[in-house]
Amino acid sequence: MTRDTHDEARKLITLGDALSDAQQIWLRNHLEECVSCRDYAEGAAQMVSALRSVPVFADARLVRTTQMRVRFHAARLRETRERMWLVGMACLGVGLTATLTLPVLWRLFAWMGEQVGVSTLVWQAEFLFFFIAPALVVSVVLLARGNHVKTHGQGSRQW
Amino acid sequence: MNAAAYFLMIDMESEARAIARGLRRRDPQLLDRLIEQYQHRLLRYLLYLAGNRELAEDLFQETWLRVLERGHQYDGGHEFITWLYAVARNLTIDYLRKRRPVSLDGLMEDEEHAPAEPADTRPLAWEIVAQHEQAERISAALVGIPADYRETVVLRFQEGLALEEIATVTGAPVGTVKSRLYRGLNMLMSRLKGAEA
Repeated sequence: MTRDTHDEARKLITLGDALSDAQQIWLRNHLEECVSCRDYAEGAAQMVSALRSVPVFADARLVRTTQMRVRFHAARLRETRERMWLVGMACLGVGLTATLTLPVLWRLFAWMGEQVGVSTLVWQAEFLFFFIAPALVVSVVLLARGNHVKTHGQGSRQW
Repeated sequence: MNAAAYFLMIDMESEARAIARGLRRRDPQLLDRLIEQYQHRLLRYLLYLAGNRELAEDLFQETWLRVLERGHQYDGGHEFITWLYAVARNLTIDYLRKRRPVSLDGLMEDEEHAPAEPADTRPLAWEIVAQHEQAERISAALVGIPADYRETVVLRFQEGLALEEIATVTGAPVGTVKSRLYRGLNMLMSRLKGAEA
């Protein structure tokens, strides 16, 4: 019997129940003839049995803390998702309104420009400012709110 | 396949799909149940992966937070525990990489990571003291072998995962898993023999 045969047998022993029928038959025959591999098989079986008997338990405190953290985090994720949904819907509404009113407003500004007697460049610049002013205001408000949360919100999250 | 095994498999598949649906909804009741159901198995895996109870408990909590965040990635196509172990493993590797640039193997050389202590510190009846001492010896020997081998041995013999499942968790080919199992068990046996001598 070669060294390779014993190595092969020992590799199969460590695989446990993950052997094909042919491998099981070969291993059984080998173990009947080979004392050292039989000893190895017994040692491996004892080791596996000992490994399965090692007690490692999570305590109730860890489980409770984890459940609490998961629930808290889930609530935060839900809030964020709801907020993002609102922002998304608001963007959609603004986009639709802007698209629908753009031609009307453009003509209105052109008409007012003619009535007042200002140059085309002036009423077009006014139109541009009127169009982007709400977005600018919202950006400034959100930026200010973000800074506020960053400065004052961190303390309350440390727990 | 006999009828009982077939129905067990069907049951496991529907259970996995139910978990996948619940995770997509981020169902808090389901998560509570999963945390309770898999608490010991996950902690045991993390304990031997990290080699330190305190770190393992931190990673245990972080793993469930990540399950909550990325639950939609679990498709229910295989057992939940396999996916859970993969999440825990990736998290552990991320943590170790951030802490310092070492491989998983480097953990065992770290002196501050003492052998895994047994969880149950309550007084034990004298009948099981011997068994407890043996468990401590095995825990110490396990922490002494390289992390890749330790992980494979733990997943196979403590958690009872199939070779293919271990390959899924670790991202290694089945052949490598077999080889790690063989070498890991040999290292463990020789370490225990050395400790007894």
